[in-house]
Amino acid sequence: MKLFLGLIQPTSGSAMLLGEEPYRSTEGRARIGYMPENDCLPKSMTASEFLMHMAQVSGIPPGQARTRAADVLRHVGLDEERYRPIGEYSTGMKQRVKLAQAIVHDPVLVLLDEPTAGLDPDGRQEMLRLIHRTANTFGISVMLSTHLMGDVERTADSVIVLESGVLAQEGAVAKLTEETETLLIEVADRHEEFVTALAARGVQTSDDGQLLIIEQAREADYDLIRDAAVESGARIRRLSPERRTLTDIFRSRPA
Amino acid sequence: MREREAEVFDLGYQRYTGPREGRTRARLALFDNGVRTVLGIGRGGRAKILPVGLFLAVITPAVVFVTILAFLDPIAGDDASQFIPGPADYYSVVSVILIIFGAIMAPELLCPDRRDNVLPLYLVRPLTSNDYLIARFLAFFAIVLVLVYAGQIVLQAGLILTASDQVDYIRDNWQDVPRILFMGVLIATFISVGPLAVAAFTTRRAYAAAFIIAAWLLLNSISDGLTFQECISEEFMQDGGTVSSTTECTRPVGDLAPYIGLLNLGGVTDNLNNMVFDVDLEPGEGSPSSMAVAELHDAFPIGVYVLWTGIPALLLWHRYRRIRL
Repeated sequence: MKLFLGLIQPTSGSAMLLGEEPYRSTEGRARIGYMPENDCLPKSMTASEFLMHMAQVSGIPPGQARTRAADVLRHVGLDEERYRPIGEYSTGMKQRVKLAQAIVHDPVLVLLDEPTAGLDPDGRQEMLRLIHRTANTFGISVMLSTHLMGDVERTADSVIVLESGVLAQEGAVAKLTEETETLLIEVADRHEEFVTALAARGVQTSDDGQLLIIEQAREADYDLIRDAAVESGARIRRLSPERRTLTDIFRSRPA
Repeated sequence: MREREAEVFDLGYQRYTGPREGRTRARLALFDNGVRTVLGIGRGGRAKILPVGLFLAVITPAVVFVTILAFLDPIAGDDASQFIPGPADYYSVVSVILIIFGAIMAPELLCPDRRDNVLPLYLVRPLTSNDYLIARFLAFFAIVLVLVYAGQIVLQAGLILTASDQVDYIRDNWQDVPRILFMGVLIATFISVGPLAVAAFTTRRAYAAAFIIAAWLLLNSISDGLTFQECISEEFMQDGGTVSSTTECTRPVGDLAPYIGLLNLGGVTDNLNNMVFDVDLEPGEGSPSSMAVAELHDAFPIGVYVLWTGIPALLLWHRYRRIRL
């Protein structure tokens, strides 16, 4: 990420972002926003003053910088607290200031490094909602770097999995996590009778202790499951195709 | 029923379509922020105490001299200006305050940015580490320059206004103006570069300030101590009955004294000041190290000044080129 931001230079090869090498071109960096993982906010400044300053450092004239700072702080939900020193903010509020400074100059692309780090569940929820809005409502492309696969599934369109700097997996999140042909069934009672009834109809199941699993399920199997449930008197709690998560994909990658 | 006068509409997020002024605006913003940071503008009253206090401390000697001049003028006439330090002496008088100002205020510009980890946010924008350093240096340089000129302006105004003939005074002393301006630039550069270089190596402002003041005191004590001249006078009767005397002066380091005198941090600009204003030091007029350095060729004080500003500037540049973000 630091390479794409121009903070470090490549030891070999090159890194291109928006058609430019960021460590060579300073002007191109005006179109990029960055939200670091670590604390990076001046404690003595107010959020309003800080955002105005960062907008100007991104090349926006003072008058417009003031308007942008006020607008962006309103969008990230810090309208009321914008004149308080940042040092007095909670972790969640600081994360929102970090996001605000990354988008205050209306970049084409914003790079977010672990944006939900250190947040409680509510704060995490709020931050993910803001990231989603940044991409879908504000129209700013977002590149998110995180170890939390749940965050990626909820916010990202595409994913690239890197392991020790090497590409391990890539693709559209929807494609990678799409439904599989494996069917999962959870029954409330008459478990044995239900399995026997299925077997009598030629449907082979495996049991993982909680769920019955039917591999390579066909369309017709749904009717057979219904018939087996009626015959055995078992009550079905859940019947759904298995959907792989990014965590499953990450765990199942070749060593 | 009261009519509705206004309505608030949420227009949602607006894309920015205004001008983008790139690197120039970024540098200006950093310069502006630097000036505001040092002077405590936009912050509470406590942040303004030090800069305002030190500013007053630099101006006060000029105000005191002008006040003395105003009192002496009716008694001594044009000779009154002989009793107070003139433009040639003023920078030496305030150099201590300027060094303290540099030691305390310069770290304010660099230390918090590194302690709070703000630097990566600057360097992912249209700025380089050189832009950052130059903007920060110029911000501090500009403040120090205003500070050093302010006292001289007050003093010059006092000298002109109390002269019996203002036009004559200006005609006779016009050369002081370029000297004051030139020397001001040299002093402001010296006061800015060194403390900023020290501040580049710590995230704690207090450590930087303490280091600068300690180095200044130590080097001054060593150089003044080793260059102090002790003179012994001997009287003897000559054949004709007349009394004759000889004076022998010695220094602890002997012939090395002029070179040891160059170590004096306060003297770095004082020696140049004497050269620029063409001052010939009489015995007892300057510090021991200044008296010793006066024996050397002019190239030595100039060389020492170049080293004391050039080396810190290189260190500063090198430090920020290699800084881990």
